[in-house]
Amino acid sequence: MTRVSPNQDPFRAIADPNRRQMLDLMLAEERTVGVLADHLGIAQPSVSQHMQVLRLAGLVDARTEGRRTLYSVRAAELRRVADWIAKYEAFWSDRLDALEDHLSRMKN
Amino acid sequence: MKDIEISRTLGYPREMVWHALTDSGQLAAWLMPNDFRPEVGHRFTFTTKPAPGFDGIVRCEVLELSPPERLVISWRGGGLDTRVSFDLAETDEGTRLTLRHSGFAGLSNVIPRIALGFGWKDLLWKKLPGHLGAAGQSAPVAN
Repeated sequence: MTRVSPNQDPFRAIADPNRRQMLDLMLAEERTVGVLADHLGIAQPSVSQHMQVLRLAGLVDARTEGRRTLYSVRAAELRRVADWIAKYEAFWSDRLDALEDHLSRMKN
Repeated sequence: MKDIEISRTLGYPREMVWHALTDSGQLAAWLMPNDFRPEVGHRFTFTTKPAPGFDGIVRCEVLELSPPERLVISWRGGGLDTRVSFDLAETDEGTRLTLRHSGFAGLSNVIPRIALGFGWKDLLWKKLPGHLGAAGQSAPVAN
C-alpha cells in the first residue's frame, strides 16, 4: 500500500479519474468498497487505497452498518473544492483589470 | 465544467498587448512572478501565495506561440491540469483580447452538479445520509 500523508490535498485527490468516478458513484448513494470495485472493474484493495486518499482529503465519510462499511461524499467539503475552481473566473477578470492598468502605465 | 472565457477590448495596439503577454517582466507586473520565455516547449512557473490545497506554484509550458495573435500555455496547479489561451485580434478601437481557460472537463463527473447547482438537491440532499447534518456540517436548505 502506498503511504498517504495526512491532510491530503483535496485537489490532488480529485485529480485521479478512478477517484472521481468513486465520488460520482457515492454522490448517488452510499457505497461499499465491494460495490465500487464492481462498478469500476478494479480490485478491492485498489479501491480501498483510493478511498484512503479521499478520506484523508476529507471528501468522504464512513459509517458501519452491521459488518459493512458504507462510504458517502462529504458534500460541504466537495463544494468547497468546486467553489475554488469557480473562483478562477473572478481571478482572470481581476488579472485582466490589472493588465489594463499595466498597459495604461506603459503608455504614459 | 465549462471553459472560462473572457473577452476584453483594449485601447492599445496589438503589438503592445502581445508584449505585455509575452515579456516576463511585464507578465509579472499584471499576472504573477514567473520565468516565462516566448519559446514553444519552454517550461516555467508562476508563483503566488499558497492557499489551502494549493502550494502557490502554477507549472506551465508554452504550447503555442503565434506572434502577435495567439499564445497557449498549460496551467497546472492545485491538482488542476488545464490550459490557458490568449487570442489577440485587431479592431478599430485597438485590440480584442480573448482569454480561455479550459480543461476542467476532467472534473465533469463530479463538479458541475455542485458548482452549477443542478441536481444538487436530488443527488446530495435527498440521498445523503442524515448523519452529515448531525455532524454539524453546513447542508443546503431543503425545498
